[in-house]
Amino acid sequence: MTDISQNKPQSRIAAFWDSDLAYAFRHSPIAMVSFLTVFLLVFSALCAPLIAPFNPYDPASLDLMNGFTPPMTSNDFTGAEFMLGTDDQGRDVLSTILYGMRISLFVGFSAVMFAMILGISLGLIAGYIGGWTETIIMRIADVQLTFPSILVAMLIFGIAKGVTPIEYRDQMAIWVLIIAIGLSDWVQFARVVRGATLVEKNREYVLAAQLIGRSSPVIMLRHILPNVLSPVLVIATISLALAIIAEATLSFLGVGAPPTQPSLGTLIRIGQGFLFSGEWWILFFPSCTLLALALSVNLLGDWLRDALNPKLR
Amino acid sequence: MLNYILKRVAQSGIVLLVVGLVAFSMFRFVGDPIDNMLGQERTVADIERLRSDLGLDLPFPVQYYKFLEGAVQGNFGVSYRQGRAVSEIIAERAPATLELAAVSGFLAISMGIILGVFTAIRRDGWASHLIMTVSLIGVSLPTFLIGILLIYVFSVDLGWLPSFGRGDVVDLGFWSTGFLTQSGLLALILPSITLGLYQMTLIMRLVRSEMLEVLRQDYIRFARARGLSERVVNFRHALKNTLVPVITVTGLQLGSIIAFAIITESVFQWPGLGLLFINAIQFVDIPVMAAYLMLISVMFVLINLIVDLLYVFVDPRLREGGI
Amino acid sequence: MKTITYSAMLLALSTTAHAESFKWAGTTDPQTMDPHAVNSAPVLGFLNNVYEGLVRRGKDMAVEPALATSWEPIGDGEGWRFHLREGVTFHDGASFTADDVIFSYERASSEPADVKGWFAPISEVKKVDDYTVDFMTSAPNPIFPDSIANWMIMDADWTASVGADLPNKDAGNAATLQANGTGAYMLKDRQPGLQTTLVAYDGWWGDDIGNVTEATFTPIQNPATAVAALLSGDVDMINPVPIQDAARLEGSAEVEVIKGIEARVIMLGFAQGADVLKYGADAGKPNPFLDVKVREAVAKAINVPAILRTIMRGNAEEASQLVSPAMRGYSTAHSERPAFDVDGAKALLAEAGYADGFSFGLKCPNDRYLNDEAVCQAVTAMLAQVGITAELDAMPVRNYWPELREDNFDMYLLGWSPGTFDHEHPVRFLASTPNAEKKLGSWNFGDYSNARIDELLPMIQSEIDDTKRQAMIDETTAIYQSEHAYVPLYIQPLVWGTRSNIDLTQRPDNFFILRWASVN
Repeated sequence: MTDISQNKPQSRIAAFWDSDLAYAFRHSPIAMVSFLTVFLLVFSALCAPLIAPFNPYDPASLDLMNGFTPPMTSNDFTGAEFMLGTDDQGRDVLSTILYGMRISLFVGFSAVMFAMILGISLGLIAGYIGGWTETIIMRIADVQLTFPSILVAMLIFGIAKGVTPIEYRDQMAIWVLIIAIGLSDWVQFARVVRGATLVEKNREYVLAAQLIGRSSPVIMLRHILPNVLSPVLVIATISLALAIIAEATLSFLGVGAPPTQPSLGTLIRIGQGFLFSGEWWILFFPSCTLLALALSVNLLGDWLRDALNPKLR
Repeated sequence: MLNYILKRVAQSGIVLLVVGLVAFSMFRFVGDPIDNMLGQERTVADIERLRSDLGLDLPFPVQYYKFLEGAVQGNFGVSYRQGRAVSEIIAERAPATLELAAVSGFLAISMGIILGVFTAIRRDGWASHLIMTVSLIGVSLPTFLIGILLIYVFSVDLGWLPSFGRGDVVDLGFWSTGFLTQSGLLALILPSITLGLYQMTLIMRLVRSEMLEVLRQDYIRFARARGLSERVVNFRHALKNTLVPVITVTGLQLGSIIAFAIITESVFQWPGLGLLFINAIQFVDIPVMAAYLMLISVMFVLINLIVDLLYVFVDPRLREGGI
Repeated sequence: MKTITYSAMLLALSTTAHAESFKWAGTTDPQTMDPHAVNSAPVLGFLNNVYEGLVRRGKDMAVEPALATSWEPIGDGEGWRFHLREGVTFHDGASFTADDVIFSYERASSEPADVKGWFAPISEVKKVDDYTVDFMTSAPNPIFPDSIANWMIMDADWTASVGADLPNKDAGNAATLQANGTGAYMLKDRQPGLQTTLVAYDGWWGDDIGNVTEATFTPIQNPATAVAALLSGDVDMINPVPIQDAARLEGSAEVEVIKGIEARVIMLGFAQGADVLKYGADAGKPNPFLDVKVREAVAKAINVPAILRTIMRGNAEEASQLVSPAMRGYSTAHSERPAFDVDGAKALLAEAGYADGFSFGLKCPNDRYLNDEAVCQAVTAMLAQVGITAELDAMPVRNYWPELREDNFDMYLLGWSPGTFDHEHPVRFLASTPNAEKKLGSWNFGDYSNARIDELLPMIQSEIDDTKRQAMIDETTAIYQSEHAYVPLYIQPLVWGTRSNIDLTQRPDNFFILRWASVN
């Protein structure tokens, strides 16, 4: 008995190790490198307070005289030294990148989760119930596609400013970004899930479940959903990369994370102002980090798409 | 069929009304146009007077009604910023955006299909892997950064291409074109690459995955077995069958090229609708914002409609089926 | 008569021989070509090339004759008499007379005009003869000629014939897109928001004009794009150059950087009319900024030299009062700003009962002044070092002014450039108790109020004797400095960039005067 219970998790891991997905993973160097990169970046972002040399969110720790210190050199005035240099406020670039990545990842993950939940629910309902419900949902999706996400974000930003109580406005920016990016992204999920649901709902197993009197929500969640998950997973991965980039773009238009709590996108937006002035490190390091993160996630998504597509094996 | 079209057109009309309503209800949160229209020495009375001149003191439903009333007659009001009819401004700016969109759309589709087919046929070749990875870099950096880097390299450093604007344009009366002058053509290069890169990657990946799927199908195997040449198999049979989803996505992407031209246009100071819109936000030019949004909505709704109808023609099963 | 034609022909010949075109870019497109519709620097600065006033400002900002050749006070301060220049023609060929002055006065002081504030002291304007006009003032007004340097004269007949009798801000009219001035350049082509082309006016009365015969202005909003355009030679001049890029551009052989000090003073203001704080962890608690010691502590806590060194890259100067030293009425007796003193600031806070600090909200624009957001971030960090926590909220200017008008701040950033180049201007707009009826204190968002300053202002406005006037301004300055009504930080720099083959003159009000530019 004890043997079995101890072996059980191991055997699950072993089973996963032997699964087709893992096999494909082990044989794709690109997938492994990307995964490792994403893992390292996410890990260092999560542990930012432990590994970052400074806390860029603590204004009392900043010394303006440290501003524009190049990487690996000591500042003319204060003598302080920073591995990746400092920005215009005298903030350590390495620390701002680590903390910025936390915000970018948080915004990205939350936005995708939000879009996924919204998209899957509406897609399932539209596909399974059909009729007027479907028409309304899919026309709302049209309206949604009509509005450039940039604009959605700007408008939500404005509304949030108007309706949130004054004392909560400071934390608002991040949530606005999540909602704005999520709202502009759910349509893809809804379309794919609806399409798949339309196919699945006429399969025998669904008809059987209907015959034995299962309720619609149960059928949707327990029977149909698992069968439409793999395209969702692929979209979610790609969307994560897109969401992180979208946050950066919004930042360029002035509706991103605030400069006192910068995301990677905000850092790049600030950094691009120093492209011609010679302080290349303020732009270069955040851009490289963003590129590494988004590229790895994209490559993983690519690999996942091929690996999960049984027809391609 | 006619019934279906009528139904879709009616639905599109409702979509437009909703877009207008949502957009309009949000304008007051964008900011206050008054401060940009008055100078330093304005008084409180000046502010109140201008506000009532512009009708901004009216309740929101009344403002929306007035806007709709004008809009159905093709009158979108007068720009707060420029003091000219909005329809005139949009007609003046549209050619720049449409030409940019056309060139970058052409780039995206042609390069996307060519590279997509190539990477699908040579699925495991090193060149395919390289193309796939490099193309991802284009979607892993924000557009504005790509634009600025292109300017830095090709305009400032190498001095080959203009850094901003549209170059010399030829006015054809109803249309100003940059296609007829050398500077106009040179000026198109960087912005259209910046704008088209993302779409190209998307189309390329789509074509590739659809091709891979089709190439596995039995009829392709039969075609090969029949001894048809690789080229005929790949292009006559395989590519043709990947085109339905490509049409859908490309159709929707063409619309979003125009919408996302906002970023490209503001980086390259491209005198099109996107730049107009960004400036309108900056100065809270409500009539321009409203007209731009309605225009984009009409375009998206039309594209959606056309894509849906094309489906019916491309895929005969849908013609008889549930429509 | 013959000689005039001859010399005009010579001039025309010589200009065509050296025909030079010039392209320049700025951040903001002038929103109208109507000189009376909008009182903003981009509009007035641009139109100074096309239209002219009775007087104008020279390279050193001193007022000099333009359409008026001379002027003198009437009687004992009852008004001003202007003698007009003869032989001046508008761009359409019509000649300039007193009727145009009267018409332009009526148009510019009309209800829809944005510049009508300039004529508040005027009770009546009288035409004496075709080339003499009297401006009667309700009280002695020593600075009236200075205050109308941007009041531009339009042709009465032309304006009436195109139907632009009154400025129209909301719907626009012919004068929004066309211009017919007397200036050195004519408006050739106007594409709002895209580009505007000027050509030299051969019939201009003056001779102080460079060799530029055709000039094109393009607005470029993205600073990086503007710098790229200058570096690649696509434009000949940009204004402004982002401060951080100035040093790098100076190092380039093809580009030159022209630096100066602008008239604009950047300062911090406080909510002094609010009983409680509105933002931060201490929202709802009594407002510490009502205590002058707290305001003084803020002034001492800010390391202005550090801001100037890093964020302004050594291109700006410290400010001690509401105007820069270049302005008329600058108080040399009060030119010291409180020194940076962390311990002093902490001691003051402790004295005021805030030894443990407090938390409040700082509002800041992020697209109005040079590097405004970065300055506010630095201010936040410096205040944190003396123990007070500023919650920074930076926003575009389109949201900023409405927020300030609704008193949604505890502390805010403001820049002020006096339209009249006189110390009286900021005292009227920023230091007077707000009073909508008397049009006082309309930008005094923090409701600073001092009875003595309110008493001094009308006296300053009507004092003709310079020494007495300066004494009153000095007294005013002493009051607002000692009460720390505002914390002046620095005077904003002007940084323009040109190609090396361009000669031009930078005026402290950031106006680009095209006739002072030459292409070599």
